[in-house]
Amino acid sequence: MAEGGDVDWELSKENIQPLRRGRAISALHQALSQQDGPSSVINQQRQAFESELRMYDGDDPLSVWDRYIKWTEQTFPQGGKESHLATLLERVVTRFTEDKKYSNDSRYVDLWIKFAETCAEPMDIYRYMQAQGIGVKQTSLYIAWSEEYENQGNYRQADLVYQDGIKNFAEPHDKLLQFHKALQARVSRQAMMKIDEDSSEDEQKQPERASLADLKHRGKKKAIAPINRTGRAIKHISGGLQSHGAPVFGSASNSRLVIFDENKTQTTGCSEPKLESWVAPPTSRGKENDQKAEKWCDVKMPQKSKFGHTIMAPPPPKPTFQPFVEESDQPPTMTPCKINPAVNTVLSARKLAREETPLKRLQERHQHQKEAESGKLQEQSMYCKDLLLGGATEFCLEELRADRYFKRMAQEAQKARASAGN
Amino acid sequence: MSSTLKGITLKGSAELVAEFFSFGINSILYQRGIYPPETFSRVTHYDMSLQLTTDPKLKNYLTNVVSQLKEWLFDCTVQKLVLVITCLETNEVLERWQFDIECDKSAKESSAPREKSIKTIQDEIRSVIRQITATVTFLPLLETPCAFDLLVYTDKDLVVPDKWEASGPQTIDQSEEVRLRSFTTSIHKVNSMVAYRKTDSL
Repeated sequence: MAEGGDVDWELSKENIQPLRRGRAISALHQALSQQDGPSSVINQQRQAFESELRMYDGDDPLSVWDRYIKWTEQTFPQGGKESHLATLLERVVTRFTEDKKYSNDSRYVDLWIKFAETCAEPMDIYRYMQAQGIGVKQTSLYIAWSEEYENQGNYRQADLVYQDGIKNFAEPHDKLLQFHKALQARVSRQAMMKIDEDSSEDEQKQPERASLADLKHRGKKKAIAPINRTGRAIKHISGGLQSHGAPVFGSASNSRLVIFDENKTQTTGCSEPKLESWVAPPTSRGKENDQKAEKWCDVKMPQKSKFGHTIMAPPPPKPTFQPFVEESDQPPTMTPCKINPAVNTVLSARKLAREETPLKRLQERHQHQKEAESGKLQEQSMYCKDLLLGGATEFCLEELRADRYFKRMAQEAQKARASAGN
Repeated sequence: MSSTLKGITLKGSAELVAEFFSFGINSILYQRGIYPPETFSRVTHYDMSLQLTTDPKLKNYLTNVVSQLKEWLFDCTVQKLVLVITCLETNEVLERWQFDIECDKSAKESSAPREKSIKTIQDEIRSVIRQITATVTFLPLLETPCAFDLLVYTDKDLVVPDKWEASGPQTIDQSEEVRLRSFTTSIHKVNSMVAYRKTDSL
């Protein structure tokens, strides 16, 4: 097409997730040219990785995972479900949680951080990592953690995270200090800017309305509307509600958009939100319909009969008070009930008992393993379940057997060749 | 727009290319976060929004470079302009934006304007700058504070001006190179390319 060579990547630039370490352009071209349909090359490569995961018997099983995940990132620039990236990350982090050999391996910690970034609440993951002692000696954990705090505008915590890292002698030390310094520089620069803006004239404080592009004139008129509407162009809000257009921290890149920040209006002058120490963990809000904990000793569970029908609990006793009925009121005509109320076996989709987050699954697994160790666990699979479900896709026993067979055959062929050579 | 703008002369071409470099360098500095985004202001040029620096020192530096470049473009003695992004701490080269300039030296003799409208040229320039913006899709994140440097490759016999000094090529070893679009004024042709450190995966 254009003289600039391939423009594939430019045409689908919106569908390429930027990676921290960049992308190899060759992999990108390959991935984009094979967009239609499940291409066999990608499937073959994935299959190779999957079987390598299962057949590996060296001392560094993480290396396979690491390569597999990096390959996935490069091969699926759009991310998405078919890349199985989230599953893979979850699998790998749970797989080696117990492995002390890896807990401060930079590759493993990086995988954890990638995993955290796919979760809704990365902070929880970082805290979990700290509690498990994963990555506490790795600078990258503290950088990722602090950046998360910074994105939320919590500069004090972001700073504390770095101090924590310094206390723990995280390596590489230079990098940690450098990032810490950079954070402090950013914070102080923003604080300076805020002071500057506060001292500037009142006119500037009025919210500006900026359109993203020039307004085009139509017809013969040549008048061009200004992009920035300030001063008289905006309706002046006088009186009680003074909208305070303080720029929000962290959004300096699009400082034209003014976003309301409740912290700012309450505590003007104080740059960081004040940290309160919780006496007890806050009760979660927005769950009004949850029942409070209460005594359960005289509550009867509904008994199941032989046929699985639930026996109806006796109807609640009639209210002791007489509801007021207007005299002229007719008793409402009952709509005939088509469903026999005694039959109570209508099926409905099972609701998830609670929100399943990756972290919860992690913790559950952890618990599970502990139970297994103490011998409490009832369930025991008599086949190599880990191997079958190990990677992103499921293997069947025959596939495993075939892999082993081919490996043995290859070894024998090699041996035969060696002996023939002698 | 008068009819005289239909063709293009050497002087006009030099000016257009110099202007492209001014906007292009500003765009790269903004996109790659070499300078904080607050120090840029938005202007509309080539029918698109562009960011120009407001930092007085940087502005001054760029004006100097571009005006010098314009002279060289007019003399057709410049071959390349390279923008090098280095890590501030380690001085390691992280990114290298290279603009190869092909000058048609015959334009120096004959002053007859070439047939290419400014509009077409600007369209081409616009797509180059768009592509520069789009490179974030594959370029690695610059995690450390960075500095930039401009290198200009000229013909060998040129006398080095006071404010310039000879320098090494500052290449990246093990780099990944991506060709970007090019544009031509029919006197100067500019090919752009970006090189960055190869990812250690794969």
